[in-house]
Amino acid sequence: MHEIIGQAKKTVDQAELYWNRNHKISVRYENGRLQQIAENDLSSVAVRVIDGGRMGSTFAVSPDQPGLIEQAKAAAAHGDPATFSFAPAADYPSVDGYDASTGHLTSDELVALAESTVAAIREKRGDLSLLVDAEMEHRELVIETTEGAEGRFEASDVVLSFGAPIKGAGMGIYKWLGSVAPLSRPDALIDEFVEWYGWTETTSTPSTGRLPVIFAPEASFLYLLPLWAGVEGNAVEKKTSPLVDRVGDRILSERLTIVDDPTAPAKLSSRPFDDEGVPCQRRAFVENGVLNGYLLDQRTASALGRASTGNAVKRELFVDGTETKPSPWPIRITVDAGETPYQKMIEGLDEGLLVYYGLGFHSGNYPQGKFSVQATGFHIVDGEVVGRLENTMISADVYEDFRHVRAVSAERGPALAFLDVTAPYVLVDSIQVAGA
Amino acid sequence: MKEKLAGIVGGLTADYADLRYEENRKTRISYQGERLVEIASYAASGGHVRAYANGGKAIASFSDPARAGAMAESAAASASLAGGRRDKPLRLAEAPVISDTFQISSPRDVRNVPLREKLDLVAHYNEMILREPTVATAEANYDEFVSHRVFVNSEGSVIEYDIVVANILGFIVTKKGEILQRVRFAYGGNEDFGRLQGREAELEKGIDTAKRLLDAEPAKAGLFPVILDPSEASLFIHEAFGHLSEADGLQNNPAFRAKLQLGNVLGRPILNVVDDPTLPALPGSYAIDDEGVRGTRTDLIREGALVGRMHSRETAAEFGEPLSGNMRAVDAHHTPVVRMSNILIQAGPDAFDDMVASIEDGYYLVGAKGGQTTGDQFTFGAQWGFRIEGGRLGPMVRDINMSGELFSTLQAISMIADELEFSERGGCGKAGQMNRQSGKGAPHVKIDRVTIGGV
Repeated sequence: MHEIIGQAKKTVDQAELYWNRNHKISVRYENGRLQQIAENDLSSVAVRVIDGGRMGSTFAVSPDQPGLIEQAKAAAAHGDPATFSFAPAADYPSVDGYDASTGHLTSDELVALAESTVAAIREKRGDLSLLVDAEMEHRELVIETTEGAEGRFEASDVVLSFGAPIKGAGMGIYKWLGSVAPLSRPDALIDEFVEWYGWTETTSTPSTGRLPVIFAPEASFLYLLPLWAGVEGNAVEKKTSPLVDRVGDRILSERLTIVDDPTAPAKLSSRPFDDEGVPCQRRAFVENGVLNGYLLDQRTASALGRASTGNAVKRELFVDGTETKPSPWPIRITVDAGETPYQKMIEGLDEGLLVYYGLGFHSGNYPQGKFSVQATGFHIVDGEVVGRLENTMISADVYEDFRHVRAVSAERGPALAFLDVTAPYVLVDSIQVAGA
Repeated sequence: MKEKLAGIVGGLTADYADLRYEENRKTRISYQGERLVEIASYAASGGHVRAYANGGKAIASFSDPARAGAMAESAAASASLAGGRRDKPLRLAEAPVISDTFQISSPRDVRNVPLREKLDLVAHYNEMILREPTVATAEANYDEFVSHRVFVNSEGSVIEYDIVVANILGFIVTKKGEILQRVRFAYGGNEDFGRLQGREAELEKGIDTAKRLLDAEPAKAGLFPVILDPSEASLFIHEAFGHLSEADGLQNNPAFRAKLQLGNVLGRPILNVVDDPTLPALPGSYAIDDEGVRGTRTDLIREGALVGRMHSRETAAEFGEPLSGNMRAVDAHHTPVVRMSNILIQAGPDAFDDMVASIEDGYYLVGAKGGQTTGDQFTFGAQWGFRIEGGRLGPMVRDINMSGELFSTLQAISMIADELEFSERGGCGKAGQMNRQSGKGAPHVKIDRVTIGGV
């Protein structure tokens, strides 16, 4: 790595080298049976250069591949004018993301964790087509630039997910949790799963019109993804974001505080630097409903005349990985807990919904803060869950409807597995509901 | 290389093993607004091994070819461990041993077109869009994937084949006050650069649509009869029905297996659905799949009844049904999964005008905008639509979604138009793999009742 950067100094104006190695073992149970054991040992490299004032990039599987700098230099001949420099040397926060006991988990140990989960659920519900995945991952990431940045980070984690399709319906109930430290069988989460599954046995149709809706942690993506599309630097730069010039304004209910907290020690997705080698930082970008700022990488920061917030991530909505361009994205989101016990939220509703998933989110107009999805969840009548929803659409404007949050729960849980979010249950006063 | 790979799988302690090694080249050009944000062409090689032993299965992916032997041995050992935990061994259906090479040729193969020409073409389309004053921004991308694959298995198959796909795709974003609208465009779908050129008239039409949408009213929520245009109808059949015809999703799902027994009547006699990789020059056309099985046409629904489904060797053995050659992997980092090739609703007896005339109060949905399914529940967006009032097409509408349940919706297909159209660009997500080689086609289709949700 050092040699490539050393050589690059002779050939191009600036260079940035990103190297990622990933070792993963996963076991999958389908219908309660061990279906497959999988192992990955993958490495990948991304090189960006600035040459003659233009940016070029290339990718490879190994830093040993010859000619990487030359390939990136050739691409720079056609490239976009460079408006920023690669990251300089920096002191990175200390983030302990590696635990040797998870980093060396074997397939036998993962089989044991998954099997014990299958057994525990079967004891309570022997009739389900259980899907259980247990996975360990050990990652190494190195970023170096000719401008002096030198970041090295090693992380490990274990993730367990489980669930079952609902009988007679297409949806399922799924739960997951992940940890940097080793996991033992999550009995409380299994109990919650069994309770929720029990609620699915009957269906119930809500009234059409506006109803209060509780968004479970799993459903937090419905309001967070529109928000991210609004605070990310590209949309702000292009002025397509509804949050342009809104810093300092109240955009959501004062009950909502949303923090990007990548530097918390020993947490899933915590990291000391972003995918451009800029130090990560803890930021409440929405505090008591007020917009505090945007998420920026180096390019968008330069375009907006600000500093990078350390939010360059190689991912887009559905793709990630070394070949993806870095763009502004939150890294580890937490939505602050409130004081209302979640059970009290349910008990307090004459009629409402508890939503834990929404189908069809990405085909809506979420960059403008709107979503319209087929809701997966439960119908609440007179303070009790009376059945699962079927053919129920909910539509909302986040910047209107989420200004009126009635309560935020004391309990918090993880969002969908593809987002690194911890969120409470959020009860919104009134959401448009349409059904069959 | 072939001999070395064959030696690795032949030397494993396993009932069956295969290894796929790929040398891939990707080219990407990406404009966001006026900025050329990316131009890159690069190599990405790697391998994938699958082993069945003792009735269990394991897979492994690797980047470094020097790790092929060690990863294969690890997979064989894991397969044996997995087999020891199963009460029911996994089996594979018998398949012919194949030693062959499958190459692609086209008069204007993208592999022979200079990068500069590709860049100029994308820049030209991007400039066309940005000239329109109501356009707030646009994206125009060139995406090329060239894969040379070697497949060997422990039964003696040695197969070399190529995959070449190029697309130009992007979207046009118009803005007026608070209203922002987005219309997609996509050209290409195979190795022929000629398909990407000369598309100005269609792009102009897309720009005009994006502009007109700014003055359209949002759709009303509720239950309506609808007509789906070929793009939306082919998305519907792909997402809502096609994925449930992929046997790996059903294999361990007893409830859906029961609902999808061959012979079950799913629709009216006008409904015929086929998956066919042997159709020429479509996004999902291929000769051989990533499990070394020849791609074949499979009738899925004939005259309303379920008559077939798509399989791997493992699921064909499990279901006792014929091989179909539908196992595909996007690249060496992924295991093949059962997926559609070119799925289509066959043309029916009806004229489009008669379909419109049959609707008193409904919508005409145009242009697929992505969708999502979970089991038998689906939700799809349309890029735009039109009201249908009193049997006539009415004003344009925006922000329109439809959702429902598959089985009742299939039964509610009451008219099928007489002209079949294919979508040009593939694109299907499953098991963490975004497959470019996924074709779909349909005529206009009338559904008597679906839930429309305004956005």
